[in-house]
Amino acid sequence: MTWGWRVAKYTWPEKPTLLSTRVLRLDGPDKVAGRARYTYDINRPGMIYGRIVRSPYPHARVTSIDLAAAQTAPGVKAVVAYRNPGDEVHYQGDPVAAVAADTEERARDAARLVRVRWEPLPHVSIEAQAMDAAAPKWSTTQENTRPGVRQETGNLETGFNDAAHVVEQTYSTHVITHVCLETHGTVCEWDGDKLTAWVSTQGVHQCAQGFAQALGIPQANVRVITQYMGGGFGSKFAPDSQGIICAKLAKLANAPVKLMLDRKEEHLDTGNRPSAFAHIRAGVSAEGKLTAFDGRSWGTGGAGAGSNFPLPYLYQFPNRKRVHTDVYINAGQQRAMRAPGHPQGCFLTEILMDELADRVKIDPVEFRIRNAPPIAPNAQWIKYFQEGARRFGWEKRHPTGDPTPGPIKTGMGVSAHLWGGAGRGSTAHVDINPDGSVVVKCGTQDLGTGTRTIVTIVAAETLGVPMNAITTEIGDTQYPFSGGSGGSTTAASVSPAIRVTCTDALNQLFAKVAPTVGVQPDDLVAEGGRIRGATDASKSVAWKDACKLLGTEPISVDGKWQDGLSGAGTSGVQFSEVTVDIETGIVRIKRILAMQDCGLIVDRLTAESQVYGGVIAAINFALYEDRLLDRVTGQMVNPNMEFYLLAGMSDVPQIDVVLNDMPERGVIGIGEPPTVSTASAIANAVRNATGATIRSLPLHPHKVLAAIEQQRAGGTN
Amino acid sequence: MDHLTSSKLTSGVHCLNIRHKGMYVTSGPYPEELNFYDPYDATAYWCVETQRGFGPDGKPVRPDMCSGDRECCRH
Amino acid sequence: MKAFAYVNATNEREVVAALKTDGIALPLAGGQDLLARMKDYIDSPDRIVNVKNALDTTVTSTPEGGLKIGAAVKIIDLYENQQVARMYPALNAAAIEIGTPQIRHQATVGGNINQRPRCWYYRNEEFVCYKKGGSRCFAVDGENQYHAIFGNDGPSHIVHPSSLAVPFAAYGARFRVLGPKGDREIAASDFFTMPTLASVLKENVLEDEEILTHVILPAPGNVRSGHYEVRYKASHDWPLAFTTVVLTMNGNRIGSARVVLGAVAPVPWRSKPAEAALAGKPLNEDTAMLAAEAAVSEAKPMSGNAYKVQMAKTAVKRAIMRAAGLKTV
Ligand SMILES: Cc1cc2nc3c(=O)[nH]c(=O)nc-3n(C[C@H](O)[C@H](O)[C@H](O)COP(=O)(O)OP(=O)(O)OC[C@H]3O[C@@H](n4cnc5c(N)ncnc54)[C@H](O)[C@@H]3O)c2cc1C
Ligand code: SF4
Repeated sequence: MTWGWRVAKYTWPEKPTLLSTRVLRLDGPDKVAGRARYTYDINRPGMIYGRIVRSPYPHARVTSIDLAAAQTAPGVKAVVAYRNPGDEVHYQGDPVAAVAADTEERARDAARLVRVRWEPLPHVSIEAQAMDAAAPKWSTTQENTRPGVRQETGNLETGFNDAAHVVEQTYSTHVITHVCLETHGTVCEWDGDKLTAWVSTQGVHQCAQGFAQALGIPQANVRVITQYMGGGFGSKFAPDSQGIICAKLAKLANAPVKLMLDRKEEHLDTGNRPSAFAHIRAGVSAEGKLTAFDGRSWGTGGAGAGSNFPLPYLYQFPNRKRVHTDVYINAGQQRAMRAPGHPQGCFLTEILMDELADRVKIDPVEFRIRNAPPIAPNAQWIKYFQEGARRFGWEKRHPTGDPTPGPIKTGMGVSAHLWGGAGRGSTAHVDINPDGSVVVKCGTQDLGTGTRTIVTIVAAETLGVPMNAITTEIGDTQYPFSGGSGGSTTAASVSPAIRVTCTDALNQLFAKVAPTVGVQPDDLVAEGGRIRGATDASKSVAWKDACKLLGTEPISVDGKWQDGLSGAGTSGVQFSEVTVDIETGIVRIKRILAMQDCGLIVDRLTAESQVYGGVIAAINFALYEDRLLDRVTGQMVNPNMEFYLLAGMSDVPQIDVVLNDMPERGVIGIGEPPTVSTASAIANAVRNATGATIRSLPLHPHKVLAAIEQQRAGGTN
Repeated sequence: MDHLTSSKLTSGVHCLNIRHKGMYVTSGPYPEELNFYDPYDATAYWCVETQRGFGPDGKPVRPDMCSGDRECCRH
Repeated sequence: MKAFAYVNATNEREVVAALKTDGIALPLAGGQDLLARMKDYIDSPDRIVNVKNALDTTVTSTPEGGLKIGAAVKIIDLYENQQVARMYPALNAAAIEIGTPQIRHQATVGGNINQRPRCWYYRNEEFVCYKKGGSRCFAVDGENQYHAIFGNDGPSHIVHPSSLAVPFAAYGARFRVLGPKGDREIAASDFFTMPTLASVLKENVLEDEEILTHVILPAPGNVRSGHYEVRYKASHDWPLAFTTVVLTMNGNRIGSARVVLGAVAPVPWRSKPAEAALAGKPLNEDTAMLAAEAAVSEAKPMSGNAYKVQMAKTAVKRAIMRAAGLKTV
């Protein structure tokens, strides 16, 4: 397989007019003006509201469910039990019943009238506790841990023999939730046995399949619509229990039902990023080459779900061994979250890297260059370390521990990451109408990433018409199949599909207009709203006049993704500068520099936005977010946006994005990679500022103060 | 889509109802990935019947559980 | 949210009258706290009485040379008031750090002082703690990183949430209160109550049907004041520890001092040891350090919040340095 430049029948233009430029998001004005209608904003005639009753306990058995009081409550139209007496619930927020009523408030009131009797069971909510053989079990039928297979490469003994220094420490990251600004939810409306569902989802076609299979109806009877979407980050690929409950309530009540989760439900039952712990022993040679890595890791994905992650990450340890254990606790299950596994593996490895660099007294950038994989199109790290250091002013970095007097210490840190981001499989349809209008249809969806905009860019670029000449239809299962938007695959799946389809349509138009223009179809090009001879520009026809030649029959073409227009494998490096107030432990980030590639950049602005968003999300991971379970009751104490902290505008630093355009590699996704290495770059900068190493996230002031205290007392740092 | 870093489900072994993100995302292969870390499975699974990470029998959905003679398993 | 009756009172007497019912009636000011509690089913009043059209929305001068602040004055208006900024700079500094711009434009002085605790056990329905009529404080064995480091005798270990209460106490403000039996004035420092088993359901001396109508600030006199808040996020967050100091100067030396700490105790916490450490001393960084040490000498942190002692110390030191006009960091 080649990802080459102009090797396939379909290629990207050598001198694009729109591609890789800065194009404003098409739906920006609609979003700013409030015209964009999210699932939350969908209101149907006669619509009522659904509400789910959930377990307040982390672990319990349902003894009875009495729906009578809820059924007779004001405004109630439907009540269903979702669980049966005897069923076991495994986390706070586990669904047990649901109601629908004429207003949202009445639905909430009625939900509280569903009388559930519980037999609370012993629970476990802390990883270390769960691993203790004497601990209560998260489930009456399951074990608390599941040991993984041991992975071994090279010879550890030789590796440690070659080491001049050895670092042995425990590193960890915590559980955070997706906190999509638009919560999960659905509006379901039945027309006989046909279901229309407006869903806040990352995959309209995928959701339709989920509804059909769970409800036992033909997929042909399900239409899913997602015009605007407030973020998913990996947590919105299926209807989920709330979607199925919503459809059932709508059937029962014979009315459209809106069921959007609230923030608390969102934290409890729509996924999270698993925690990650590793006890690591690692060796480095006197020359600063990594020699050995011996790691024992564990983490929790909640109730019965896995927690693995890549470790060691990116850097080349020739001799290594690792074994991972999944730990289960009574908490909501993990779901894919923006680069699943990578932020964890990256943090655990990158903090270790700075500790090793200090042992051999080599600058962290230089140390990474010595141990990074060799430069290749998909492996640009060494280049980014060098160029980024120059841009960032890395030479001004002091060795570990800012010697400046006063409480404010400044430091710099660096980290690297990678991601695949290869797409395939999207299909599309284009109509070129006799009146010159163009309609592009693709059953993809725009999560807020800019998909609608890049579809339009590719179509306009290909057809040589302005973007406003294109009508783009996405976000509906009535349009051709496209994959779910995850794994940073959308741009790389959809852009080629649009390119191929529009090229085919254009070739048909060329064939129609060639006689009129007096140029062979193969020698025609479309550009600037005209179709003209490639070599003789004087022979041309305006787009509109060309389309008139179609008479009454539009050009109507289906097409799909083809090899050669997209690629795989991105790399990135991030630098951060922070200040730490050592009298309060408070970290403030001054600036972040993100060096990133994504193959051929489709829209520079939306690509940069992905990096900004990724970096900001990672700042939250580094400093603020923390799913806190009460250590006694196992219930979450901060299921909100008040004590579940998130950066506000004034907490976001200057972020400089340097995108490396690599058009010869084709389109590669960029959604996930920029969120991977920020947290470790920040933690390494905190270490550089204070001289104290914090080996666990988040970098809450209490940990910063404790680490500084420990370092002053001469502890291990 | 088979992917180095996503799980391996084997038809005939695993239940037809088990789902994960990779099955819904049209991603391309990235063979060089193996140069940068060893394989791992970070995948979250769910059951198409229940639309959650617990099967109709209330037990978790995972490749090691959703196979063989588990009662709700479909082949 | 439980359905409720709504009374739109037009003067303070009407408010008091409307608060009398067989069920539960609560005054509604900016609603930033009350509506959230109602949505979360922490409180389910039968009647709410709007006070925004009934209580004073102005800041006026008193014959004694102080200021009288109406309970319905919005926090943003308090902040923008020039007299407040000139005469009570620490109050001005506290006002601008509260919540977010949206909150400051809705919330009122009266609502801020009377807002209920922010303890996450209190705010989540699952936890039936002392404050909700239960018989347990979940913070003791649980997650107490944001709880009290002073006044930890229980039964409740909240920190008082009001940012304004601290400078009010430090400047020696008095609160005018109106009830069915008429009005009375209470010193700000006597208004807030330490929890006891008998009083744990509320945080101050107000009786049912009583409301706060005004805050009366004495003439500032020859004082220097300073305010410092240790905050993690720059906005939309709560202070982890903060301090107002009001120093009555005697030439170049400190005559007497009031040091009040916030976010560290169930009430605005007046630190007598810090005040003693300041009296008679020159106003400089060394004095600030000594007073800061003294301020935390009696701290009794819980299992997970010892870090707040360091923060409180820093807040005291930096508030004094601000009063001295010194650079804090
Ligand atoms: C994220 C976030 C951060 C915040 N940060 C801060 C902060 O840093 N500092 C801070 O101080 N606050 C902070 N707040 C809280 C906010 O400032 C208060 O909720 C607000 O000031 C309450 O004022 P209100 O007028 O809206 O009161 P309301 O919600 O209307 O009333 C509050 C309570 O007081 C009672 N009440 C109202 N008026 C009177 C009266 N005249 N007499 C007697 N009782 C009365 C009501 O019955 C109610 O119980 C924050 C809030 C949030 C959500
Ligand atoms: S839970 Fe049961 S039905 Fe669902 S995938 Fe697993 S084995 Fe199949």
